[in-house]
Amino acid sequence: MRDYWLSKMFYDLQDPAVAAQYRENREQVFARYPLSSDAKKALGENDVPWLAKRINPYLLRFYCFGIGMKDEEFMRRLRDG
Amino acid sequence: MAELAGCYAASHGPLLVRDWAAVPEHEKKRINAGFRELGRRVSAARADVIIEVSPDHWVNFHLENLPAVCIGVGETHEGPPEPFLKAYPHREMAGDADFARHLVASALGAGFEPSFSYRLKLDHGFCIPLWRMELERLPRIVPMIVNSIEPPMPSLERCLQWGGLLRAAIESYPGPLRVAVLASGGLSHSIGEPTMGRIDEAFDHECIRLFSQDQQKLLQYLKDAIPGAGNGADEMRNWLVAHGAARGRGFELIDYLPVPSVYVGCGFASWAME
Repeated sequence: MRDYWLSKMFYDLQDPAVAAQYRENREQVFARYPLSSDAKKALGENDVPWLAKRINPYLLRFYCFGIGMKDEEFMRRLRDG
Repeated sequence: MAELAGCYAASHGPLLVRDWAAVPEHEKKRINAGFRELGRRVSAARADVIIEVSPDHWVNFHLENLPAVCIGVGETHEGPPEPFLKAYPHREMAGDADFARHLVASALGAGFEPSFSYRLKLDHGFCIPLWRMELERLPRIVPMIVNSIEPPMPSLERCLQWGGLLRAAIESYPGPLRVAVLASGGLSHSIGEPTMGRIDEAFDHECIRLFSQDQQKLLQYLKDAIPGAGNGADEMRNWLVAHGAARGRGFELIDYLPVPSVYVGCGFASWAME
């Protein structure tokens, strides 16, 4: 099952302007979506396995690439947590 | 009357552009050769229109409304929005609105229910093969988005049937068009899941073998094996559309190579026209 609002935020982050704002002030972007506290915590900790259970894999990869996570690190977190 | 000019298939992957420098030279040569050979065949087929079959990688659609199949009926389509495709030479690509609307009407009349769009962005799945084939003249593009990104997805049987529908729609179009079908995607790859980076060469080789065999065996194999071959293998649906358009005959592999640096089992193929 997807987390719709989390997915929606990831989708919107494909817009470079939204992505820039996210880099500058995540909380401002969070405020636009009814994200759960667990979701905000997972985002804060880059908890890839938690996110992977709730987000489409292609969107998750896009998000992690966007926040500067290298593929090697992303793949390690997917595998090992 | 219009006619089917050819059926083709090619893999895609963002890293084929974004991290091209990391691809070993001998693999670059074969990938370039595969795309160029496809381009040569498409040019030789004198296609006026390409129906290009690819997923939408979250560019046009999101979870609010995710069509199983969407056909682009616009006069034009937007070029790829991905920043790494800034150098792609077409910011806008011509469509063929008359033919595309005929295709949608033919589908609806035959009990298929696609959505349609007057304005699509064509992402890397569409544009990488079009770019890398190095066509001197880009035919008009009729995009056919098949959802192979987010489950539930169209059945494999339905994708094969879609191929037959494409052929019937082409052959019933009154204009003197030559229409090619180009499937983009596959073979095995795994993106954003714990097996990311894994290429299932056994799956890829068996798919390639079975495209020249009985359709039911191919379908059964894909049904059984896709779930273990990585989520990118779901894009084999697009190859099935091309295979169906070719009536399941004439498959010819141009080349196949696993390319670990881009995470994709890369295949290039065409189907001989009867």
